[in-house]
Amino acid sequence: MTETPAPETSERYKTLIVVLTMITTIITAIVATLQADANIRANTANRDSQYYAILASGELHRSGLQSSYDLNTFARLLLEQQTSLMMQFTALEMEQSNDKLGTALSNISALAAQARADKLASFSVFYTDPRYAPKTSDELPNGDAYLADMSKKANEIVSKQNTAADSYHKWSSKADSYVGVLTIMAIAFFLFGLAQALTGRMRLVFAIFGAVILLVSSSWAMLILVV
Amino acid sequence: MLKRLNESPRLDIFIAIIIAVVSATTAFAAWRASMVSSAAGDAIRQGLIDAVKKQTASSEDWRRTYEEAGHAQTYAVTLAQVEALENSSDKTAQAQAKNMRQYLLPSLQLVVDLTTDDKYLKSDGTYDLDQRFADLEAASPDLTELDPEASFKLSDQYSSEQRWLTVGVVLLAISLFWLALSQLSTKRSRLATLAIGAGIYLIGLVWFGLVELIFLIVRGGAL
Repeated sequence: MTETPAPETSERYKTLIVVLTMITTIITAIVATLQADANIRANTANRDSQYYAILASGELHRSGLQSSYDLNTFARLLLEQQTSLMMQFTALEMEQSNDKLGTALSNISALAAQARADKLASFSVFYTDPRYAPKTSDELPNGDAYLADMSKKANEIVSKQNTAADSYHKWSSKADSYVGVLTIMAIAFFLFGLAQALTGRMRLVFAIFGAVILLVSSSWAMLILVV
Repeated sequence: MLKRLNESPRLDIFIAIIIAVVSATTAFAAWRASMVSSAAGDAIRQGLIDAVKKQTASSEDWRRTYEEAGHAQTYAVTLAQVEALENSSDKTAQAQAKNMRQYLLPSLQLVVDLTTDDKYLKSDGTYDLDQRFADLEAASPDLTELDPEASFKLSDQYSSEQRWLTVGVVLLAISLFWLALSQLSTKRSRLATLAIGAGIYLIGLVWFGLVELIFLIVRGGAL
């Protein structure tokens, strides 16, 4: 009967440590790849969020100019309509008091104001666009629909910008976390290296510490990947 | 024979040479991945600069369009008033209209292109602001023809290449590990680890070459 010779003290657990180091290397390589990928995704999302922010500011500026023009036109139109009406009232009062010159001047003012109002109506989106124009002469233009339409495009861009910014935060956070994992894996490498240099029971103790740290960092990497 | 080969000092030198070659290749691959990453960053930077320039030009053109629109509207409204007064039977109104047409309207018309160029005049007497904006944009092609999306597309290509090159670098690093293992080993597994290391190195090398070639073609020859 032949007995299997026990390994030398200096060689014991050496293969185990080599295997653990190899596993750590492969896991580190995978985590490093994931970290690079997360970093690339964070950069792309960051770029998109900045680009959409530029587009949103441009659109807000443009819609601000347009609404300023539209509302100014509408205000001028109301003013001219009111002026025309008041001048017609004035002309009637002058006529009743037999002031012919006053009547004529008031009529001219009323005529001029009405001509200006009619022209402004053709410039006003609140009277030319069927989406906002009043359906009857008693109604007011649909201001709510106008405001909703004016901010629609800017809101769409801002929504895209928010999505990109959220994506940036998500991937940036993941990339940072992977760096944490890699740092812990470096500790595992250190412990396995120390274990390789030591002999006997201490070698096993350091190998176990290294293995525990490898397990924890691998679990953390999995958690980052899944969440 | 395998045992003799395992213990041969020539194998030690051979593995050392392979390790040196793989180390140099890995360093080169890491440098190239870093260069590609830098190129992606440059393309993003260029795209954002172009976007800001283009948007600024566009904002200025819209500002000018609406500024001119306000002046043109004043002209059109005054013209409508003049026409109404001219059609009136009142002599005073006619006299006012005559003077306004002679002195006021030409001054108002001089201020903006919208009122002087017939191509902007619409059939309802208003002005084509979109056409005016398009013409203002066309007047500064150096800014309006900037294409940030093209820079972003280029940055996406570089980023994608960087992603795949990183995989190549990892393969090379893994092969380096196996080769180092082979150098340290004295057992029969030495040749096996050497073969694995060399195999992974070759796969990494081919991978790296293919990734470079594919993206070189995609970018039309640009590094």
